Amino acid sequence: MLIASTDPLAFNLLPFVTTIVVFSVVAIALGIFVWPKILKGLDDRNAKILHEIESAEAARAVAAAKQKEFEQKLAEALEQAAQMIREAKSEAVRMGDEIRAKSEADLAERARRAGEEIENARRAAIAELESHAATLAVSIAGRILKREINPADQKRMIEESMTGMSTISGKRN
Amino acid sequence: MSVFLASESDPIAHIVDKGVLGFSLFDQPVMLSMITLIGCAIVLYLLMHKAAKSIATGPVAMGNRRFIPIGSFAALVEVVIVYLRNEMLIPVMGERLTKRYLSFLLSMFFFILALNVVGLIPFVDIQDAIYGLMGKKFDIAEHETSAIFGGAATASISVTGGLALVSFIVIQFQGFRELGVKGWLEHLCGGHELVHGSIFLWLVVPIIFVVEFFGLFVKPAALAIRLFANMVAGHTLLITLTMFGAMAIKAGLGTFAVGGITIVSGIGAILITFLEVFVAVLQAFIFMFLTAVFISLMAHEEEEGHSEHGTDDGHAASVTTAAH
Repeated sequence: MLIASTDPLAFNLLPFVTTIVVFSVVAIALGIFVWPKILKGLDDRNAKILHEIESAEAARAVAAAKQKEFEQKLAEALEQAAQMIREAKSEAVRMGDEIRAKSEADLAERARRAGEEIENARRAAIAELESHAATLAVSIAGRILKREINPADQKRMIEESMTGMSTISGKRN
Repeated sequence: MSVFLASESDPIAHIVDKGVLGFSLFDQPVMLSMITLIGCAIVLYLLMHKAAKSIATGPVAMGNRRFIPIGSFAALVEVVIVYLRNEMLIPVMGERLTKRYLSFLLSMFFFILALNVVGLIPFVDIQDAIYGLMGKKFDIAEHETSAIFGGAATASISVTGGLALVSFIVIQFQGFRELGVKGWLEHLCGGHELVHGSIFLWLVVPIIFVVEFFGLFVKPAALAIRLFANMVAGHTLLITLTMFGAMAIKAGLGTFAVGGITIVSGIGAILITFLEVFVAVLQAFIFMFLTAVFISLMAHEEEEGHSEHGTDDGHAASVTTAAH
C-alpha cells in the first residue's frame, strides 16, 4: 500500500477525485432539494412585500381621493352654509325693512286718520261753538233790542252770524 | 502521544493530510480529508435542508407569519444568500447568468466555508483527548493518524485542486454553451472584433491565443493555490502559536516561564483564530466570486459589457486584484 506524503504540495489522486465526486453530489442534492426551496421562499416574500406595498399605495391613493372628495364636499357645504346665512340675513333685512315700512305706513295712516278725526272734531266743536255763540248773541241782541224776534228773523240772524264767524274762523285758520 | 508533542518540531506535519489508520481504497490510504469532505457534505446538506424548511413559505394557515424565516440560523443563511445574489452576483453576471448558476455558486461557497470552518475546530485534538479518557492509544505519525474526522481539508492542494477542476469545467461549459466552438476560439484569439478586424491585428492574435489558452488553466489553478495557501498559512501560524507551550516544556524551562509562554501564545492563538474565521469566510467568498467572474467573462459581448459596466468602478476587477 502507498503511504501518504508529508509534503503539503504533494498531489494525491484519491482526495482529488473524492472532492469532485462529493462536491458534485452535494451540489446536485442542494440544487434539487434545498436552494429552490430557499429561493422560492425569498421570491415569495419579495412578491408578498411588493404586493403589500402596491396595495398600501393603492389604498393610500383611494384614501387621498376620498379625502379630496370629502374636503371638496366640506368646502361646498361651508359655501352653502355661508350662502344660506347670507340669504337669511338678506331675507331678515328685507323682512325688517318691509315690517318697518308697513309699520311706518300704518302709523302714517293712523296719524292721518287721527288728524282727520281731530279736524272733524275740531270742526264740529267750532260749529257747535259757533252755533251756541250765535244763539247766545242773538239772545243777547234780542234782549238788547227789547223786541220780539220771530223765528224767521232768528234763523236769518244766526245764519248771518255763522257766516260771519266762519269767515273769521277761516281767517284765523 | 499528544498531537502537539508529536508534531512540535514541524507545524506543517500537523496540517498536512494524513491517511486514516486501517483504512485503504484501491490500495491507497484513505485520507483524513476524504472523510472530512464526506462528513462536511452530509452536515452541510442537513443544515441547509433545515434552513430551507425554515425559510420556505409556510402553510396558508400561518397567515403572514408563513413568510418569516424561523430561527436565527435560517435568518443568517438567508442574509448571506440574499447578499451574495443581489449585491455580488447579479451586478457581475446579470440576472440571466445568476439565475442559471446561482445553485452551483451557492453550493461552492457554503461547501468551502464548511470545510474551512471545520478546519478551524480542533477535531483531531478532541479525538486525542477522548482516546486519552478511554485509556486508548492515539497514534499520529507523519503519514497516518488514529483520527477519523477533522483537519483542514482545504489545506490540501488535492482538495482545492478538485474544487478548481469543477470550476474549470463549469466555466468552459458556459463558454461552449454561450459562444459555441467558433465563438470560444474567437474568445481565445482576442474576441470577434480582433479576429474579423484588420489583417495587421492578426499579428497579435497568436500572442493573445497563447496567453488566453494558458489563462484557461491558470485561472482555476490560481483559485486552488490561493485557497490552499491561505489555509496552510493560517493553520501554520495557529499551530505554531499553540505549540509554543509544548516547546517550552521540551526545552526544560521552569514552570513560571512555561506558564507565561503558554498564556501569551494562547492569547495570540485566540486572536489569530478570530482572524482565521474571517479568512475562512473570505476565501470561500473569493473562490466562489472569481468563479462567477470567470463564468461571466464567457458570456456574449453585451453581457461582458454588463459585467464590466454594471458594477461600480470595476468592482470585480478590484476584488480579483485584492484576492491576488
